[in-house]
Amino acid sequence: MKWLDGIAEESTRAVARRSSRRSLLGRLAATLVGASALPLLPIERGAAAEPEKTDPNAPQESGDPTTCEYWRYCGIDGFLCTCCGGSLTSCPPGTLTAAVTWIGTCHNPADGKDYILSYNDCCGKSGCGRCLCNRNEGDTPLYQPFLSNDYNWCVGSKGDIAYHCTVSRVVGLAK
Amino acid sequence: MLALAAAAASALAHDAQTNYILHCQGCHTADGSGLEGKVPSLRSTLAPFARSREGRTFLVQVPGVAQSTLTDAETAAVLNWMLRNLADDRQIAGISAFTEKEVAGYRATRLVNSREVRAQLLAKIATNNP
Repeated sequence: MKWLDGIAEESTRAVARRSSRRSLLGRLAATLVGASALPLLPIERGAAAEPEKTDPNAPQESGDPTTCEYWRYCGIDGFLCTCCGGSLTSCPPGTLTAAVTWIGTCHNPADGKDYILSYNDCCGKSGCGRCLCNRNEGDTPLYQPFLSNDYNWCVGSKGDIAYHCTVSRVVGLAK
Repeated sequence: MLALAAAAASALAHDAQTNYILHCQGCHTADGSGLEGKVPSLRSTLAPFARSREGRTFLVQVPGVAQSTLTDAETAAVLNWMLRNLADDRQIAGISAFTEKEVAGYRATRLVNSREVRAQLLAKIATNNP
């Protein structure tokens, strides 16, 4: 077994020659900081890519996005993400945005224009339960399925079919 | 004639792109690529389908198109807009545009087995273009 001791000793000494205790501490610190950043990564930030705020065609805003009467919610059927830890356009942490959405138009009283709205469901957690709104303008009954909003749009999400809340994104002006 | 065309255009509630957004984009997504395993992509099939009569028939009779609340004229305009803007194949110059009359003709027949018809069309296209 002496040969094994020899190899172990030699390799340990080789490591000690090449590196210092300080570098070990540095690497350890980097690993710890890196690991602490990891839990932040899976949160989807689809809304961050949204050009809405810098867009010259962005709507003028008025009203309270945490109430059902807010203009963007004219066709909504679900819980408002603004009451559930998310925002008007981004899903709460721990949920994923469904790519498949219900799309309709709403009239914005602040600038008098009609906008195309996409109601994206946020999925992967059970129902938020706060600020339930059911205004349904432009919604059709289930027997006219293509403009009906009574589906669980989370079937079109990687977050599985659990529905949590809904965000309202402006797609553009209705022309 | 021009005045007539202008009157016909103004009768459309929205332009073709807006109608695509309102009636199709919710599922097929903004660029027509859909959602893998759930919503088929339009991009690769639009132009090949539009080159044959049976393919054109399918494009109109597929339930999302045939049962939409768009008029025949609006549907023709949306299909033409999709061909110009969403088809992967950019060689669409030889493809004739959909007309209101053509859409009305295909739309009157209900397509029940859309998946099978789509698969048959794709197989036929693959055989003709090995």
